[in-house]
Amino acid sequence: MTEQPYREPPITEAVIELRFAAPLETGEVEKVSAALKSLYPLHQPVKGVGVHLDVPPGREGATTAQPIETHGHKLSTEDQTRIAVVWPAQFIFSQLAPYPGWDVFFERFCRDWALWKRTLSYRKITRIGVRYINRIDIPIETTPIIQQEDYLNIYPHLPPPLDPVISYSVVAQVMIPEIGSILTLNSSSAPSPLLGHAALIVDQDIAKERDPPQNDEGIYALLNQIRVKKNEIFEACITSRTRELFKPWQA
Amino acid sequence: MASLVITPRQTSGTTSNWMIDASLLSALSTETNIIANWLDELRRPSPTLVGRTEAPTLESRVFDALAGAKVLTSQVAMHLEQEFRNRLFRQLDSLHETDQWEEGDEPLDQSSFQTFLKAILTIKPERRPGLGLSQTGNLIAAWTTERDRLTIEFLPNDGVSWVLARYDDTDEPARYAGQTSVSQLVEGLAPHRPEHWFSHAGKNHEPSR
Repeated sequence: MTEQPYREPPITEAVIELRFAAPLETGEVEKVSAALKSLYPLHQPVKGVGVHLDVPPGREGATTAQPIETHGHKLSTEDQTRIAVVWPAQFIFSQLAPYPGWDVFFERFCRDWALWKRTLSYRKITRIGVRYINRIDIPIETTPIIQQEDYLNIYPHLPPPLDPVISYSVVAQVMIPEIGSILTLNSSSAPSPLLGHAALIVDQDIAKERDPPQNDEGIYALLNQIRVKKNEIFEACITSRTRELFKPWQA
Repeated sequence: MASLVITPRQTSGTTSNWMIDASLLSALSTETNIIANWLDELRRPSPTLVGRTEAPTLESRVFDALAGAKVLTSQVAMHLEQEFRNRLFRQLDSLHETDQWEEGDEPLDQSSFQTFLKAILTIKPERRPGLGLSQTGNLIAAWTTERDRLTIEFLPNDGVSWVLARYDDTDEPARYAGQTSVSQLVEGLAPHRPEHWFSHAGKNHEPSR
């Protein structure tokens, strides 16, 4: 049974990411991407470009800039909702809406991760992260002002002269000691893609960087622990009025 | 008490910075980009961005247009029926079969498609429209009931242009047209009883006047 309690879950994107201690060689990136092509019909090479600036002290005129390119592959399904990205130092696994529930999402991750390992063998993992971005579309009935606390339990608190707020973003980092992870929780206002609606964002990133598990059993156990936590955190961040917007199955 | 004033949609400088900074142009939503940018300033998060290549050829531009439209659809997928989404994607795929294109035809304009999604999610028509593309890549939706026809062109930046023809038991149709913002589309069509095209009941039971 899936844990999805809502008919219209607000999840716009779910991500699992593994980071590695050492980047893959170019040939290894190609090899694992080729293997994943059997699971994802669409494929695009992707490129990241950074710039390394060297500014010698007192000699700003001698500044040099060196571009740093990173090459990877983005693989996706025909409807573009299921995505896997292979970078030299990361394996990114993403699900856009409609969110099919953890069971389906997790099963796909296990499938792809198994294929990744069969192709490349063991690599040291330095970080395991799970990120869920939720966009809450709030209908604006009569007044263009909404009270954030009607919908969320995380929002900025400002002194009266600064009220009302036009837009906001708040970020908090919190330890989750039971799973040795750090939660980065973002809440912000955002434009809604729906007419006559405002939107509020609840964005959770739960990551374990200290001694992340290296074997499948440990990785999968951690991911399932994170899943439980992210559900608890999300429910703690929203109000009953917000839950109604998602059309709970039990309503 | 914390209150939030809802202002008209505006382009955020943060988004622009992100787009410039990121050769990793995001295939994801504006909202996701904004969040990612903000959070990146605090720490390196589990990323949500995926890059894309440049698209100089028609084939690549078509790929990007279709992929972009599907990603945009995913951002409102929780408000769409699965059947509608599937049919929409089939229609878009069909519209982008370039072997039937003429020189100068453009793939779907992303801003036009955003306008379309807003309109559809507002109107929520029971009857699905036929879709077409203007030569400049604007999406066009058409509903036909008997000889009566309603056509809406979805323009970039929330504009809509519509034209309708109704036969009131005559051989010559009455024609009406309008151009509004998408937020005023429902109001603009209201005098012309759009349920005649949008609802099954309107199609099945309402006699043509």
